Formats: sequence, structure tokens, C-alpha cells
Amino acid sequence: MIDGLGIQDLLLIVAFTLAIVFTYKTLVEKDLVRAVVYSAGQAIAYGLAFIVLMAPDLALAYVAVGVGIYSALFLLVISRTERYEKVE
Amino acid sequence: MIKDIVWIYYYASLILITFMSIYGIAVRPNLLKKIIMLSILSDTANMLAVLLGYHILSPKPPVYPGGTFSTTQFPSQEQLSTFAKYAVDPIPQVLVVTAIVIGLAVLVFLSFVAVLIYRRYGTLDMRVVSKKARHEVK
Repeated sequence: MIDGLGIQDLLLIVAFTLAIVFTYKTLVEKDLVRAVVYSAGQAIAYGLAFIVLMAPDLALAYVAVGVGIYSALFLLVISRTERYEKVE
Repeated sequence: MIKDIVWIYYYASLILITFMSIYGIAVRPNLLKKIIMLSILSDTANMLAVLLGYHILSPKPPVYPGGTFSTTQFPSQEQLSTFAKYAVDPIPQVLVVTAIVIGLAVLVFLSFVAVLIYRRYGTLDMRVVSKKARHEVK
């Protein structure tokens, strides 16, 4: 392990890098169902970061909201409307 | 030295995610994509608030050290000073719990509006929707 860095720093680096990757995939994705799944992955990365930042109550609330309720809500909207983003 | 680089990386990654989500809200034409990027933007603001309250030296969760249910058992002086020295800041966490729930309510409302717009105009592409709406007004 690199001296001066604890396990918290390494976990935070992994979590924020995952969040960057998932946000970019959400941004460039044309299929909205896949975009919702990538957004849920970003929520998992933020939940890991909340646990490392010593906020376990926030991690409980945020993982339930970000992975469960947001995904269900957006999938409900997709089932009522259209799935693919139009390319001009 | 390496601690400073790591902390610069944390803030830079959060600011990068913020700019990516603002780009998605402003440029992407699909309304549901805008709503998804808005959820990411609010979560990033919450994460930035929690990261500002973090304690570098051996952090602990902000749990009150005394007996909470009995009023006669107060924490001692050493317990209180240890708590103030090592616990992370509880104020951003309390605010962020409220912000998560309010953001959920706002997103439910926006999704409802998106379904209504689709029923009225037959599409979620905001360029087409604004063209049709402008045509209706004339």
C-alpha cells in the first residue's frame, strides 16, 4: 500500500472513479433503460462513498432511494412513454 | 503531500460529474434524460456537502457518547472531548437526509409532468415539443 494513504482513501478513489465512469455512460447512452441501469450503478458508487465518509444512515437512505425508487420511477415513465432517444 | 493530491482528486472528480450532468441537462433533447441527469446533479451536491464535513484523522460516526435514554447519566468530560475531536461533522449529514427526500419528491413531480407532456404531444424530444407548442400559440 502507498504510505500515507489509508484504506478509506483507496475506497474513496475507487468510488469516485466508478461514479465518473457511470455518469459518462449515462450521458452518452441512447437506450434509456440502459441509462437508468448506469444511473443505479452511480448510486451504488455514491453509497460506498457515504459509508467510507462515516455517514451510514445516509448510505441506508440513499441506496434505498437511488437504486430502488429512482429506477422504478424512471422505468415506469419509460413504460408509459418511449424507450429510445432520437438521433438527429 | 500525497494526501493533498488525493483530496484534490476527490473535489475535481465531483466537479467533473457536476459539469457532465449540467451538460446533460442543457444539451440533451430527451426530457427523461434531462431528469436522470438532474438526479445525478442533486446527488453530487449532497456528496460535496458530506465530503466537506469529513474528518481526516481517524474519523468516527457522529454518535452521542452518553446514555441517550436516561437523563441522569451524562457523558464525562473526556468522552465529550474525544467526541468533539474525532467525530465527523453531523450538520451536513442531517441536512443531506432532508435533501435526499425532497429531491425524491421533486423527481416524482417531474416524471408526472413528463408523462403528461408525452400524452399531449406524442414525443419527449424537447425540440419537437417546443416547436409544436409555439405553433399552438399562434
